[in-house]
Amino acid sequence: MNIKIKKIFTNARVIILLIFLVLAIIAISPRPGAEGVAIRNLIANSSAIEAGIQQPLLTTKLVDRERILAIDNRPINDVEDYYNYVSALEPNKSVQIKTNQGLYRLRTREISEETEDIGIRVFNSPKTNIRKGLDLQGGTRVLLQPETQLPKQDLQSLIDTMEERLNIYGLSDLIIRDASDLIGNQYILVEIAGANEEEIRDLLAKQGKFEAQIGNKSVFVGGKDITFVCRSADCAGINPNVGCYRSSGQNVCGFRFSISITPEAAQKQADATRDLTLVDSGSYLSSPLELYLDDTKVDELNIGAELQGSATTSIQISGSGTGSSEQEAVINAMNNMKRLQTVLITGSLPVKLDIVKIDAISPLLGKEFLKNALMVGLVALISVGIVIFIRYRKLQVAIPMVLMSVSEVIILLGFAALIGWNIDLAAVAGIIIAVGTGIDHQIVIADETLRGKGVIYDWKQRIKNAFFIIMASYFTVVVALVPLVFAGAGLLKGFAITTILGASIGVFISRPVFARTIEILLKD
Amino acid sequence: MDEETSQNKEEEQETQSQVSNEEKKKSFSFKPDLSGLKGLYEAQYKKLLIIPFTLLLIAILLIGFKVATTGDFINRDVSLKGGVTVTLPTNQEIDILQLENSLSSKFPANDLSIKSLSQLGKQVGVIVEADIGEENREEQIERLINEISNSLNRELTANDYSIEIVGSSLGASFFKEIIIALLIAFVLMVLVVFIYFRTLIPSAAVILAVFSDILITVAIVNLLGMKLSTAGIAAFLMLIGYSVDTNILLSTRVLKRKEGTENERFYGAFRTGITMSLTTLTVAISALIFTQSEVIKQIMIILLIGLLTDLINTWIQNVGILRIYLERKAKKLMEQ
Repeated sequence: MNIKIKKIFTNARVIILLIFLVLAIIAISPRPGAEGVAIRNLIANSSAIEAGIQQPLLTTKLVDRERILAIDNRPINDVEDYYNYVSALEPNKSVQIKTNQGLYRLRTREISEETEDIGIRVFNSPKTNIRKGLDLQGGTRVLLQPETQLPKQDLQSLIDTMEERLNIYGLSDLIIRDASDLIGNQYILVEIAGANEEEIRDLLAKQGKFEAQIGNKSVFVGGKDITFVCRSADCAGINPNVGCYRSSGQNVCGFRFSISITPEAAQKQADATRDLTLVDSGSYLSSPLELYLDDTKVDELNIGAELQGSATTSIQISGSGTGSSEQEAVINAMNNMKRLQTVLITGSLPVKLDIVKIDAISPLLGKEFLKNALMVGLVALISVGIVIFIRYRKLQVAIPMVLMSVSEVIILLGFAALIGWNIDLAAVAGIIIAVGTGIDHQIVIADETLRGKGVIYDWKQRIKNAFFIIMASYFTVVVALVPLVFAGAGLLKGFAITTILGASIGVFISRPVFARTIEILLKD
Repeated sequence: MDEETSQNKEEEQETQSQVSNEEKKKSFSFKPDLSGLKGLYEAQYKKLLIIPFTLLLIAILLIGFKVATTGDFINRDVSLKGGVTVTLPTNQEIDILQLENSLSSKFPANDLSIKSLSQLGKQVGVIVEADIGEENREEQIERLINEISNSLNRELTANDYSIEIVGSSLGASFFKEIIIALLIAFVLMVLVVFIYFRTLIPSAAVILAVFSDILITVAIVNLLGMKLSTAGIAAFLMLIGYSVDTNILLSTRVLKRKEGTENERFYGAFRTGITMSLTTLTVAISALIFTQSEVIKQIMIILLIGLLTDLINTWIQNVGILRIYLERKAKKLMEQ
């Protein structure tokens, strides 16, 4: 027996499977004891941002998100702790937030005699890198349809505009993408974790407008007054006159890009700037150019003294980005620039959007579903194990079969964690199907090999026979699900891809291992 | 012909004893004397074919009747025809009938359906579906939530429930889309089967079995009065994948293998195929019992019905056709 076990673990296919398993576990990186609450996103201009807390990047792996461990030395263990404590804060008080990455001090602000939200949205510390779909964690999914068909690049800029808007609103943990169906209808799918339906409905369906003001006077508006926004390297990028520098412990990089406005807008600007005074040792005008998006001020640009009263159609817009390293500051500056350019180009949405579907999933329900899905998986696996054992009465067959199924699920989840694929209920159904087909295939292998005993042909032939049937079954599963990837605005894409991926992992990685393992175990 | 049948019978009796010996050694200890049944199964395969074909015919008639009366071949739920679904998880005991009556009286113009959200037979919440149209949707939804909250004597905040809203044109286009996907999947499956077997009758038998599985399952689902969601139709796609498995196994074992007698190959395939179906059925049943998600529940019910139907269509229909095919082939060879 020992020799057989040694033989199994020195087999190349088994080693490949083990490597995949290790990689999958690294990708999932389970952290059973993760404390505190993770930061989902920060609200623009909030006291949290002022205190220097970093907006988490979407690309950051879940377990690497910054986590709040304590506020004012009171431990924060879950979302409820956090919101209970924060909602009781008094205005104009100093608050100390301890995270796993540092200690921050912020001051609460007052807004109409109440405490202003400190601006942090949190979620319970993730225990793994597997992203849970909306139906497993709660959130809102909105499917929008443009009133008229848009060319691909316009659709992308529409999506950029919407994303920008959602970010300004303070929502960053979101998926927004275009979707289509087999007949060619266009859709835009927005999924926002932990947001409720009411707050985003307006944000998405409103067409939105962009406006520049000087001293409360409208100068130009997005879209119709701006004739050109430069995005090429010769007139947009890091500002050569400012470059990068350090300021109060932070790296700052300036950017600039030029825009052209219509002559009428230029005249309006000339009129608005004529009576302004000079400030800042004469280099800038007393009122800045203020940029508003949907009536929210998003940026403020100082106007150079030389532009006073002149009807110039070319305007250089500048700004900056900060970061803890120069590289980070450059990236942030360029991102800020891109955002601003996007707003200027597509001030309002090119078309009206209709909300065709809204799903708002309660976080309570999501939590229940997840617990339940795990239990269903476990029960299904155990009962299959029992059936297999009753059928074969051989642990050498039943144990490898169940182990293979478990490894397939782990590799599949690892893959999902690696590419940031959301595991939702449909994906859970996909996993169940993949495991089901996996078991079916292994039964074929077991029967072909056991049946072949005593008959003339060799092991290789038996396994080849099994794979003939397995490949036919694999191809039919794949072709049956491929159309679903493209159908119906991609809402069942997750289901189809999870199933196809799971079946593929089985056929190409774990099935050969199973065949080899039982060959070693059963061969005399 | 007569000669051949008697020859066949001899052969079959022989294998019959072989098989039952083998089975005694193996694990199948549940068997009472099945030899009568077995004899029937082996000798009367042509007559047995009446069962699957009658089922298929009834299914086609039922579906035809459904289309004639409702214009649709299935019952669509709100995700496929537009409307609103409110899911409310709660520990509170809710009398579904009472809630249904009280809501229906408030929304006489709408088609409402109230289901219990359950796990292990225990109620863990309630699902309300209403075909609320685009007109004044917001107000109507607000009214619906208020009425639910009144009926339950409970204040409801946005976090307490899930709500899904589907526009009616989107629902209709989803339905169309998934049916197209289903058709494409079927055509691709047909191609794979033909490429694999390259002979008309056995390939057609596999395809007929899958086709019957789907139609009979649709008919049963309709008889049960189930309303299908997007996930439900996706389950039919999975059914294509699953039901073709056992049929491919059967045809491969019987046609492409040379060892043993024909009958041994049929029974070998049968044993493997039944194990495959049993494990999948086990998964479907345990998921059905334990899940509280309507999505998964519907997928599993359809899979369950489909796999049971597949047992008949593989082991009676496909087996019967293959036996006739092999018989004719042997006859042709003899004639040459």
